[in-house]
Amino acid sequence: MSILSNILKKKQKKRQNDNFRQMQDPGKPDELPIHRDYKDNIARIKEEYGNSTDISYREFKFCGSRGMAVYIDGLASNNMISDFFIETVSEEVRDMVTDCFQQMFDFTAGLGNVETIINWEEIHDAILVGNTIFFLDGYSKAISAETKGWEKRAISEPSTQLSIQGPKDSFTETLRTNTALIRRRIKSPNLWIESMKLGSVTQTDIAIMYIKGIANEKIIGEVKERLNRINLDAVQGSGYLEQLFEDQTWTPFPTTHHSERPDVISSHLLEGRIALVVDGTPFVVTVPALFIQFFQAPDDYYARFDISTSIRLLRILAFFIALIGPAAYIAGTTFHQEMIPTTMAIAIAAQRENVPFPAFFEALIMEVTFEILREAGLRLPRAVGQAVSIVGALVIGQAAVQAGFVSPVMVIVVSITAIANFSTPVFTMAIAARLIRFIMMGLATILGFYGIMLGIMFMTIHLCSLRSFGVPYMMPIAPFNIRNQQDVFIRFPIWAMKNRPMFISKGNMARAGENQKPGPPKQDEDQSSQGES
Amino acid sequence: MKRYLLLSICVLFLLPSLTACWNQKELTDLAFVMAIGIDKGKNQKFNVSWQLVNPGNVSSGQTGGGQGLPIAVYKSSGDTITEAARRATKKISRRLYYAHTNLVVISEGVAKTDLLDLIDALDRDPEFRTTTEMVIARGTSAENLVSALTNLDKLPVSKITKEIKSTQNMLGENMSVNVDDFISGLISSGKEPILNGYLVMGKKEEAQKAENLQSTQSDAYLEANGLAIFKNGKLKGWIENNNARGAIWILNKVKSTDINVEWNGKKDAISMASIRTKTKVSVNFKNGKPVIHIRIEDEGWISEANTAIDLTNPKVIEKLDKLVEKEIKRQIVNAVNAAQKKKSDIFGFGERVHRADPKLWKKLKKNWNEQFASLEVNVEVDSYIRREGIRTKPFWSTMNK
Amino acid sequence: MEKAKINASQLFVLVVLYEMGSAILVGMGAGAGQDAWISILLGMTAGVLLFFVYYRLFLYYPDLPLTSYIQKITGKWIGRLIAILYIVYFIYDASRVLRDFGELLTTTIYTSTPLFVINTLMILTIIYAIHKGFEVLARVGEIYFAIIYILAIGGFSLILFSGLIHFENILPILENGWKPVIKTFLRETFTFPFGEMIVFTMVLPFLNEPKKVKMACIGGILLSGINIAITAVINIAALGTDLFVRSNFPLLTTIGKIQLANFIERLDVLFMLYLVIGGFFKIAIYYYVAVAGAADIFNFKNQRKLGFPIGVLVLFSSVTIATSYAEHIKEGLNVVTIYLHWPFQIIIPCILLILAFFRNRKKKSSPS
Repeated sequence: MSILSNILKKKQKKRQNDNFRQMQDPGKPDELPIHRDYKDNIARIKEEYGNSTDISYREFKFCGSRGMAVYIDGLASNNMISDFFIETVSEEVRDMVTDCFQQMFDFTAGLGNVETIINWEEIHDAILVGNTIFFLDGYSKAISAETKGWEKRAISEPSTQLSIQGPKDSFTETLRTNTALIRRRIKSPNLWIESMKLGSVTQTDIAIMYIKGIANEKIIGEVKERLNRINLDAVQGSGYLEQLFEDQTWTPFPTTHHSERPDVISSHLLEGRIALVVDGTPFVVTVPALFIQFFQAPDDYYARFDISTSIRLLRILAFFIALIGPAAYIAGTTFHQEMIPTTMAIAIAAQRENVPFPAFFEALIMEVTFEILREAGLRLPRAVGQAVSIVGALVIGQAAVQAGFVSPVMVIVVSITAIANFSTPVFTMAIAARLIRFIMMGLATILGFYGIMLGIMFMTIHLCSLRSFGVPYMMPIAPFNIRNQQDVFIRFPIWAMKNRPMFISKGNMARAGENQKPGPPKQDEDQSSQGES
Repeated sequence: MKRYLLLSICVLFLLPSLTACWNQKELTDLAFVMAIGIDKGKNQKFNVSWQLVNPGNVSSGQTGGGQGLPIAVYKSSGDTITEAARRATKKISRRLYYAHTNLVVISEGVAKTDLLDLIDALDRDPEFRTTTEMVIARGTSAENLVSALTNLDKLPVSKITKEIKSTQNMLGENMSVNVDDFISGLISSGKEPILNGYLVMGKKEEAQKAENLQSTQSDAYLEANGLAIFKNGKLKGWIENNNARGAIWILNKVKSTDINVEWNGKKDAISMASIRTKTKVSVNFKNGKPVIHIRIEDEGWISEANTAIDLTNPKVIEKLDKLVEKEIKRQIVNAVNAAQKKKSDIFGFGERVHRADPKLWKKLKKNWNEQFASLEVNVEVDSYIRREGIRTKPFWSTMNK
Repeated sequence: MEKAKINASQLFVLVVLYEMGSAILVGMGAGAGQDAWISILLGMTAGVLLFFVYYRLFLYYPDLPLTSYIQKITGKWIGRLIAILYIVYFIYDASRVLRDFGELLTTTIYTSTPLFVINTLMILTIIYAIHKGFEVLARVGEIYFAIIYILAIGGFSLILFSGLIHFENILPILENGWKPVIKTFLRETFTFPFGEMIVFTMVLPFLNEPKKVKMACIGGILLSGINIAITAVINIAALGTDLFVRSNFPLLTTIGKIQLANFIERLDVLFMLYLVIGGFFKIAIYYYVAVAGAADIFNFKNQRKLGFPIGVLVLFSSVTIATSYAEHIKEGLNVVTIYLHWPFQIIIPCILLILAFFRNRKKKSSPS
C-alpha cells in the first residue's frame, strides 16, 4: 500500500510546487505603502477586487478632511456602521484638533478592536474577515475596526450524534461560537486556545484548544508541527484537516475523532486530548483518537455504569456483527454446513432451493442494494430520505424474496447487519466496518471461516500497528494497561474513574478526590430510628 | 523496486485462490443424508440405503412446504462403504453430505458377520459425526427401517433418535449409543458394546408409503426393542425388557423409570416412579479373584397405588422401600445373569478391574469373557420413596370400608 | 536489530501463546497413554530448568541476541557457523509448524483444498505481521491471549455441560510404570514445546525491564504447561485412552463430541479459531527469530527486507519437507527430536553456558 503512496507523493510534489507558486504569487510586491490620497487607495481596492459588488464604500467628512470607509457587505454589520456614522461622525466636535487621525482612532474605538494599519497587506486581512477600514485623506495609514457581523446559524440540536440524556446543543459553523460553547463548559484559565490560519487561498481560521497541565506537551508540539506542514490552497472544514494530518492514510480506520457535541469535546479535553476547531464546520476534531473511543457514546456517561457497560458491550458485539455478518452467512452455508443445526440447515436449504445465485452473489447483490439505498436516503431531502431508505429496503427485500431471487434468510442477515452497523456511535468507524465487510465476504467465499479468521487476524495486526499522534491505536487493550481499564469494555462508576488515561495525558493525572463513593448518610441508623419513634 | 516485487508476488499468490473455490459447496447442491441403512448384499458385501431429506418438503416456509414426502431413499451396493457411496452418485443428482447424518442402521445379518468392515468408514471420515446414533434393525432389513415414514416427526430419523433418548430418560430400557461409544466398546478388552434394536411393527410393506401417514393409527410403525449384545464384534444375542433395564441400570444410564411391586397380595399394586438414580460399581478382590459390587441409590415417588394402603404411615413407606429394592435387585441380577450366559461383558466390569488392579488385569485380560461368566456379582440397592403425589391415601382405602 | 521495546506482560503473553501454539492441537505425549499429562508436567519442569541455562546466558549478555553472543563466546567464525545453523533450524521449525497447521486444516475441514493455498494465506498474514515489527506482534498477542482464554473457558464449559468428562479414563495412573512416561518425556514433551523456549533468547534483549525476564518467561512456561496438561487430561477423560492415542488431533475429536441442547454441535470452527491463533503465533515467532537472526549475522540494517524472502522459504519448505502427514509426524518424532531439538535446544546452549562461564570469570579476574 505504501508503494502506491510513494509514487503518488513523488508525482504530486512536482506538480504541486509548480502550481502552488502561481497561485500564491500574483506577481505583486509584498510591501506597499498606503497612499496619502485616499482616492488612490480606493481606486486601488477597486482594482484589486475587480470591482466586486459586495464591497461597500462610504464617504465621510471628518475634522475638515474627507475620508472613506470600506467594508464587505454581508461580512461586516451594516447596522453597526450606520449607527457609528449617525452617532459619532456626523456629530462632529468643532474644536480644533491637532491630530485628525488620532481623533478618528479614538472615535472608532467604540466599534471595538481598533488597529492602525500602515501596510497594504494588512488591509486585505482586515477587510476579508469583516472589519471596516477607514482611510483619511492626507494620512498614509488607515484604521481598521472590528465590525464583524454576518448571518450565522443559531445553535441547534445535534443532527448526527444524538443522545437521550445529554445536553441538546451542538456546534455551529462559526469558530467563535464553538470555542465559546467549550469555554462555557470548562471555566478554567488553563483552557488555552491558540489560533492559526490554514489554506493559502481560503485563509481558514483554526483554533487549537487544550487544557494546559493536562494535555501532553509532546502531542501539542506534534499537532502544531503537523499543522504547520500543511501547505494547501484550501482547508475547507474539519474533514480536510483530518485527512491532512492523520498518521496513516492507508487505513479504513479513523485515527482522529470528531464530534458535533460540545459535551463530548470538553470531556475529551479533560482527558488531555487536543481539540481543533475549524471555522466553517460544525465538527470539532480531537486527537489522539483511539479505537475504543469510537465505541464510547455520550450517553455512556450520563447513564448508570452497569447500564452503560452492558450497552457498550452490545455496541462492540454489533460492530462485529456488522463486520462479519454476511461473511459468516456465506461461510456457514457454503463451507461449514455441519455447523448449522440440522433442522436449521434444512430450513435454509429449502429457502435457497429456487434461488438462482450462489450464496456469495446473493449476499453481494443484497448488500450492494442496501448500500445504494442508504446512500440515496442520505442525499434525498430530509423529509423523504428516511422513508425512502426504509420503504425501499422493505419493498425491494419483499419483492426480491417473492420473486425468488433471494432467500428470506439473506434478507434477515442483511437487515441485521445494517441495523448493527447503525449502532456504532461515530460514523467514521461505522463506515470502516461497512467497507471491510465486503472484503470479509470475499474471504469467506474463498475459504470459509478460515478466510474470515485470517481477515480478522490481518485486521488486528493492522489495528495494532496504527498510531494516532504517537499513541498506539489499541492503547489500553494492547499494550494492555491494567490501570487504564476504567473506560474500555467496562465503564467504571464515575467516582471510580480516578485517573486520566496516562497514555494521553501528562502531569495532572488525578481526576477525583479520595472517598468519592456515594452512600447513605452516616447517621442513617439513628435518624431512621428517630423517625420511627 | 523491491516493493513492486513484493506486491506482484502477493497478487500472484492470491490470484489462484480467487479463481477456484475448492471446498465450497452450495446448500442446494447437497443431499443431506439423514440415515444410512446397511444390509447384507447379494453379490457384494453391503447393500447400502441412503435416506435423503427433501428440504422443500420438510421446512414449512412460505415456499409451500409439506406437499410431498419428506425423505427419499436410494440404494446402492459395494464391497466397502466408500464404494457404495461413490456408486450411489449414479442415481443421485446431488453430492451426498454426511455431516447431518444422525442414524446408522445395521441389519441383523451384517451385525452377525461383517460389522467390523464398515466401522472404520464411519470413524475416519471427517465429515461424518461420531455422535451419530447406531441401531440394529431387528427382524427386518435396514432398508425397510430407513425407508419407513413416521407421523409425529416429519423426519423419521428424529423420531428414532429422540425416541431412544426419551426411553432412556423415562423408561430406561434403551440407551443412546453412538458410533464412538460402540467403537470404544469394541476396542476395550474389558468391555463389550451394546446397540439398540429396532423393529418395524405392523405391515412392513406399508411403512414406506405416504398413505401410512394418512390414518391416525399407522399400519406400520417403528419401535425400539431390546438391546443387542456383541462379542468380538459380532452380534451374540439380545436382552429384552426388564433385563435390558437392568443392564442400563448397571451402566448408570437410567434417569427415570417405573417399578411395580406387590401389596396385600395384589400383583403390581403399587407403582413407583424413580426420579433420581445413581449406580456405583466397585471391585473387591477375594482370593485373587475380582468380586464386583454394584450399589444403586434410587429415589422416587408413588405414581400409582391400586390398593388400599396407608401412605401417610412412614412404616408403610419403609416397607415399600424394601419391596422396591428387592424388585430392582432382581432385575439387575437377571440382567447380569443374561449377560453372563452370553459370556459378554457389556457392563465394562473388566475396565473396572483394570483400573483397580492393572497387574492382575494383565493376567485376566486374555480370557476375560470366560472369567466374566463366572464372576461373583453383589448387588446392593438403596431405594427411598420421597413423596406420594398429591393424594395421601388412595380412594381404595375409603371405598373398601 | 530492530529497535523494539516490549514490556514484561507482553513477553509473558508471547511465551504462553508460543508454547501452547501447536502443542494443544496435536496429541501431546500420546506415547504415555493415559499418563500423557504426567510427561507433560515433567517436560514443563525440565523446561523451567533448561530456561535457567538460557537465562544465565542472557545475564552474561543482556543486550545481545543468541546469534550475537554465540560469536562472542566461541569466536567469530565458529560462532557465525553455529548462528547460521540456528537460523536454518528456526526456519525449518517454522515450516514444520506451518505444515502441521496446514495438514490439520486439509485433513479436517478443507479436505479438497491444496495445502499450498492454505499455507500461502497463512504465511502472507504472518509476513504482514513481521513487516509491522515485533512490537506490533506483541500487541496482537495481548489481544489474542484474552480471546484464547475466553474461547478456552467457553469450550471447556461446553465440554463439561455436554457430560463428556469421565475422569475414570485417566485411571490407572502409571499402569506400565515410569518407563513409557520418561521415554515420552525425553522424546516429546521436553523438547516440544518446552525446549523451544530457545527462540526467546533472540528476543529477550527487547524487554524494557530486564529484571522481569525470569518472572515473565517462567510464568509463561508454567501457565502454558499447566494448560497443555489440562487439555491432555480433558482429551483423555472425554475420549478414553484408545481414541486419544488414535486421533491425529484429539482436541478436534473432543470438540466434535460436544452436543448441547440439540443446537450447539459440531463446533469444529471454534477449534479452527484456536488453531489459526495458536498457529499464527508459533510460526510468527519462529519466523521473526529467523529474520532477526539473519539480519544480525549479515548486518542488515533494515531487517524488513529479509522478511519476505524468508517467508517464501518457510512456505516452500513447509510444502516440501514431507510427502505425507505420516512421514511428517514420523520425522518429527524420530529425526527432529534427536538430531535437531536435542542439540540445538539443550546441548549447544549448555556448552555455550560453560564456555561463557569460563570466559567471564577470566574477564572478571583479570582487572582485579
